[in-house]
Amino acid sequence: MAGNDAVTRILFQDFAPGTVRLFYVIGYAAIAVFIYGVYVQVRKYRRGAPAGMPLNLLSRLESMTAILLNHRMIKRRDRKAGEAHRLIFYGFVLLFLGTATITLDYDILGPLFGVHFWHGEFYLWFSLVLDVAGVMLAGGLLYMMYRRGWLKPPKLDYARPDRTPTDPDYDRSNYRREDWAFLWTLLTIAVSGYVLEALRLVWLQTQAEVWDTRWWSPLGAAIAQGLRSAGLSDAGAGLLRRDLWWFHGLLALLFIALIPYTKVKHIFTAMGSLMFRDPQAAQRLPREKPDAPHPGVQYITDFNWKQLLSLDACTKCGRCHEACPARAVGAPLSPRDVILSLREFANRTLNAAELPAQAELDVHGKAPGQVSMETLWACRTCMACVEVCPVAIEHVPIIVQLRRKLVEDGEMDPQLRKTLQTIHKTGNSFGESKRKRAAWTKTLPFPVKDARKEPVDVLWFVGDYASFDPRNQQVTAGFATLLHDAGVDFGILYEGESNAGNDVRRVGEEGLYELLAEGNIKALAATTFNSIVTTDPHSYNTIRNEYPDFGGQYEIEHYTTLLLKLMQQGCVSTSRKLNLRVTFHDPCHLGRFNKGYDAPREILERLGCELVEMGRCRSNSFCCGAGGGRIWIPDPVGAEKPAQNRMREAARIEGLQVFVVSCPKDLTMFEDALKTSGLEGKFVVRELIELVREALAQPQATPAAPVAA
Amino acid sequence: MKILVAIKQVAALDEDFEIRADGKDVEAQFLLRDLNEWDDFSLEEAMRIKEAWSGTPVEVVVVSVAPAEADETLRKCLAKGADRAIRVWDPDVEGSDPIAIARVLAAVARREAPELLLAGAQSSDHAFAATGIATAALLDWPHAAVLTQLTYNPGARSARFRRELEGGLLHEMAIDLPAVLTIQLGINTPRYASLRAIKLAAAKPIEVLTLSDLSVPASAVGEAGSLSHVRRMYVPEKGRAQMIEGSVEEQARRVIEIIREAAGGAA
Repeated sequence: MAGNDAVTRILFQDFAPGTVRLFYVIGYAAIAVFIYGVYVQVRKYRRGAPAGMPLNLLSRLESMTAILLNHRMIKRRDRKAGEAHRLIFYGFVLLFLGTATITLDYDILGPLFGVHFWHGEFYLWFSLVLDVAGVMLAGGLLYMMYRRGWLKPPKLDYARPDRTPTDPDYDRSNYRREDWAFLWTLLTIAVSGYVLEALRLVWLQTQAEVWDTRWWSPLGAAIAQGLRSAGLSDAGAGLLRRDLWWFHGLLALLFIALIPYTKVKHIFTAMGSLMFRDPQAAQRLPREKPDAPHPGVQYITDFNWKQLLSLDACTKCGRCHEACPARAVGAPLSPRDVILSLREFANRTLNAAELPAQAELDVHGKAPGQVSMETLWACRTCMACVEVCPVAIEHVPIIVQLRRKLVEDGEMDPQLRKTLQTIHKTGNSFGESKRKRAAWTKTLPFPVKDARKEPVDVLWFVGDYASFDPRNQQVTAGFATLLHDAGVDFGILYEGESNAGNDVRRVGEEGLYELLAEGNIKALAATTFNSIVTTDPHSYNTIRNEYPDFGGQYEIEHYTTLLLKLMQQGCVSTSRKLNLRVTFHDPCHLGRFNKGYDAPREILERLGCELVEMGRCRSNSFCCGAGGGRIWIPDPVGAEKPAQNRMREAARIEGLQVFVVSCPKDLTMFEDALKTSGLEGKFVVRELIELVREALAQPQATPAAPVAA
Repeated sequence: MKILVAIKQVAALDEDFEIRADGKDVEAQFLLRDLNEWDDFSLEEAMRIKEAWSGTPVEVVVVSVAPAEADETLRKCLAKGADRAIRVWDPDVEGSDPIAIARVLAAVARREAPELLLAGAQSSDHAFAATGIATAALLDWPHAAVLTQLTYNPGARSARFRRELEGGLLHEMAIDLPAVLTIQLGINTPRYASLRAIKLAAAKPIEVLTLSDLSVPASAVGEAGSLSHVRRMYVPEKGRAQMIEGSVEEQARRVIEIIREAAGGAA
């Protein structure tokens, strides 16, 4: 039988000629509807602003394809759903390739060149692979139905925190209906396909080339056995096959035609969003265009085409919703619902042939599809949403760009407004005189070099909290002592240093950020150093990732990396093992933003601490709640604060002694939360530097060789 | 229709400040400059009137009698929406008291002929609370001080307002225009001027005038034209509080002792 031309499936077998033409007419009509739908969507994206990003199409295509094939992003934090989706994805792709292969043979190579290949050995293997693909597809779909209908994870009820039940867009049942329709339609197409396969086998059972090779379509053959034993005759099967053929075909064509109008479009929009993603999405925020009529985003058309495209990529998986610390404590913010609101708004305004008047394009407010101030100000810019999104939606830059407009209009908490004015006046958020920035150095028994006056090897950018907050000043003095005793040639900028601007930028005061960044870069330009170290992850993030856009390119490390190097080189040698049971809180701006998970853990190991991880650690670390300017905005009375939520998580660790942090704001937030959540006495909050100091038997008598930059 | 708003760039004290060698002021390097808080409210009041009015546009002009370093503050006012800024300076103005300043402001007011001249009830550094009303006296205009609420329809011949008295009392009055009104804190919520707005305001010009532009003689300003002069500025000696312990008799005895010591031993 191998290689035999007769071993194939005759398309449109026994169809009246008119019906085949009819099928093709319907097919082309479906394609036309599909193309029109794509055109409307593309027209919508083109109504956005230019993205101004380097295209690098080939390398972007490569990385997007890799992510699609390995599904590593979908598997995160929802492994079973990720695996089920992989089955659906591969099943669908194989079936699609199968149809494309048949089209190639029947509609292109055959009529044009008289070449046919879809028969014999190739056809048999083809049948087997597609049968398996269909099982994968159906299996994945069934799991998804089970998950949605029986397991019912809370994130799939789409309850939204940014609307009340009386709001017209509060109800999400149309989304739930669409999701179920998607699942059922695809499953019905798959199942009807198998039944169709079986019916053909029963119908043509007298043809040896069909019946003897039937087990190359195992599931179809099994169903065929069943149908035959149930008494179905070949003639009967033939009739059923004809009707089911039209049902299956029309349903499949309907599905294809409706892709651009339904959730199914995520097939393309997800690929697009992944392909054009910014790998530095929340770490490095976009600059304002100098000639922009207004700052940030006011109208839906202020978003660029890439952002509008990624709004359509969201499949409501809910990972961002789960990860968000503001949402977790009941704030009216869910990153998912910001995206969905904007998407609904874009569809309502940008799908029409004529663009509505500009006033109707304002996305700020409380009407359906708009985003309110309360939602935007609740964000901590911790980037948990951006980091986990499987389709690379960039929520944080969207929120910051919306905030820029709010800041321009002065629409913010009075306390925040005052803080911004204070930072403008004094260069720090504490309102202290510039002269007092280095007051902490006076407590030390040795002088700290002034980098403005003499060259240093390592320039230490101290930061606001580390300089002015009394509790953090203890840590700062401790670090200075560590560096001094290790023989590091370091210095600080004294009054030349201003707030690095990371949080000012994330509040949306881009003008003030530019002032601060340019000021710091000017101060740094007047100094001589090899590298920068900082104890402040926020300063670390902005200097490392954003200052280059303003002309400041430096080698910078967070103190944990430098400290580890010093320990490895023996410049800092801790003889005492602490033998403490600790847990480590990854600071957002060091861990998730800049992948700095390992150095602090290695240090803790060297200190002889027993590290027990919290459930939400490393990239899933739960923000202390201070980011995005929230430390300058009063929290709602009575509501849980993110830091308290985190303390309760830590308290679940049996026998925990120390909650270790490596960020000044974390230290402030968590020491406070320890008290206010009633857990004082159960364990303590300590900065990593303080633990290192504890473990040091005595300061080094002779400084070891300075660390290489 | 024009509203003239007189503003002042005031000084705030930095940490560990020192008194100048001549003993009459704080060393300049220890002074931080910013817009007078009261003037923030009076400018906002002018903007509120301007923005609420849909008739013939209202022009808001800010004026300050100050050297070039006040341009930063004037720019902030332009960023908040003022249409024009005027700065008057001449080396002879140095050392002026509120009356001397008022002479200059009056000259500007005669030149600009606004319907309303708004000023802050006082400044946060010298706190004389005199400049605005002195200007009214020199102009011979109706005036009222310490306003907490103002109702004015541009083009109307009069305005109604409330002013703050002691003990929580409010004084409700009407006044004919043109008039000078000094504004109290809390009359409104001053808007935020973003850095971007301040940068864009650099495009709006600041008109710099000299005394001769206003026909104000040098004798009318500076030390020569002031009605009061600074003798000295100093930090008063801080007393130390002492707890007097013991029984009532012991405490009384100690108090008498202290009084005698302070009075130089006399009974």
